[in-house]
Amino acid sequence: MSAIEIRDLGKSFGAVRAVDGVSFTVEPGTITGYLGPNGAGKTTTLRCLLGLVTADSGTALVNDRRYVELPHPLTEVGAVLEATNFHPGRTALNHLRVICTAAGLPPERAAEALEQVGLGEVAGKRVMTFSLGMRQRLALATALVGHPRVFILDEPANGLDPAGIQWLRGFLRHLAHERGAAVLVSSHVLAEVEQIVDNVVIIAKGRLVRQGSLAELVSNGDTAIRVRAADPGELVPALERAGATVTQSDGVLRVTGLDAERIGRIALDERVVLTEVSQERSDLQHVFLELTGEGETS
Amino acid sequence: MRLIRAELLKLTTTRLWWVMLAVTIAYALLQLGITIGFAGVTGGQPGAPAIPGRDTERFQELMWGLGASGALFPMILGVVMMTAEYRYQTITSTFLTTPRRERVVAGKLGAGVVVGLLFGLVVLALTAVAVVITVSLAGGELSFTGSTARIVVGTLVVLMLYTLFGIGIGALIRNQLGAIVAAVAWVFVIEAIFSAIPALRPVGKWTPGGAATALTNSGVDLGLGTDWLLPAWAGGMVLLGYALVFAAVASATTLRRDIT
Repeated sequence: MSAIEIRDLGKSFGAVRAVDGVSFTVEPGTITGYLGPNGAGKTTTLRCLLGLVTADSGTALVNDRRYVELPHPLTEVGAVLEATNFHPGRTALNHLRVICTAAGLPPERAAEALEQVGLGEVAGKRVMTFSLGMRQRLALATALVGHPRVFILDEPANGLDPAGIQWLRGFLRHLAHERGAAVLVSSHVLAEVEQIVDNVVIIAKGRLVRQGSLAELVSNGDTAIRVRAADPGELVPALERAGATVTQSDGVLRVTGLDAERIGRIALDERVVLTEVSQERSDLQHVFLELTGEGETS
Repeated sequence: MRLIRAELLKLTTTRLWWVMLAVTIAYALLQLGITIGFAGVTGGQPGAPAIPGRDTERFQELMWGLGASGALFPMILGVVMMTAEYRYQTITSTFLTTPRRERVVAGKLGAGVVVGLLFGLVVLALTAVAVVITVSLAGGELSFTGSTARIVVGTLVVLMLYTLFGIGIGALIRNQLGAIVAAVAWVFVIEAIFSAIPALRPVGKWTPGGAATALTNSGVDLGLGTDWLLPAWAGGMVLLGYALVFAAVASATTLRRDIT
């Protein structure tokens, strides 16, 4: 049983086809990155999945049921949507107490969830005093309150500082890989999620462009390695003897057919100083950049 | 039940409810004060005074019925209980927690009953104090007749049902300002017209205001007449009907809309 199953999902807003025949699944214990430029239909897909938006066609199921049919939704699904859905005059703790009461969860979960996201000290502060990053953490606490096994996060890194993003990555990894949760996380910035996702689903203009495991997509096509060396004249023949194809431009060598370790060893044997060895943009990044234009580079 | 408790918690964890309660109290005090001040005053005209003297039984009945006119404030609170969810987008987490949306409205209506009754009890307590002091000072005799009892119950019911009425309007009109303006305009403009113009009264008695007046009718004629009203029980049913019909219509229309 897939934790999340989306099949032929379609949704139009007026004349705009926001989501057009999207299908994918998310399995327990994995993190799936749902990627695409702004306006691609990511948010609409997630909101259909959560019963906030009614799909025109297709199905979106969590644990084999429509969200509205889940008897205790917060104990099955944790969702992080926009950062703004709090009453500004309510304190963080009271926000969670309201949710625990409505969901029939034990009241002490409110304070525990705040501790879990590092907001324990500001539990009694009104949300209006919170930074965007703190609101995002509060949204995450709201998702955690019912101990769910499925997480749906829409652009959760928005508003987080680099340390916050780092923390979020660790947290999502922990949820999926140690606690066995299914995590679906959307982003318009590949670099934000590339390090943590197991699977990738790319959407543009409402349609699915590509999906698969990260490893699959990255190994697709031959991966080149950029090399700069103090003395390329010595190095190039040695690399070619080892079976590599080398092209050279502006002092940068583009090497295919060898991995970075082999290149390093060859350079060591030839006693050539390397000044750069880096993986060139993967296929995934190529696809993603084509879709998003030059706006998002890592 | 837990949804009602959650709704009450939503109210008590923000400030609006006690601001509205304070306004309701201030308004009740103002009305009681004016009525006490002008009791027995004939204004130089021959005949009976517009407001009966403080030592009369009728004065007491009139005083008891004043509280219901403060129903505007719990009604606005009821509107905001619904519209604030859209205004601050808390509706997203509300519907994520309770995806069956009509249950959310039912929870709010349940909380509205509690809030309306609380407001009613506070207003009646103020009235009781004012009546006891005024009548004692005027040398009258305190009386609590069957008619007074009916008015007291009627006041509680009116404040409660107006709160529900407000929730119904708020569910139907998601825009907070729009919903409040619509509710206030209804009470102050449309209902005033319907109850003031005799030809429109056959319709006017079916308005929420007409129904509320039927519930708290003290029989004291302040110039508009009272014989055109519905019986009290029917007034209550009409008010409840408005609240439920609005909430039901909203559940079938506005509430179903996509939350984007």
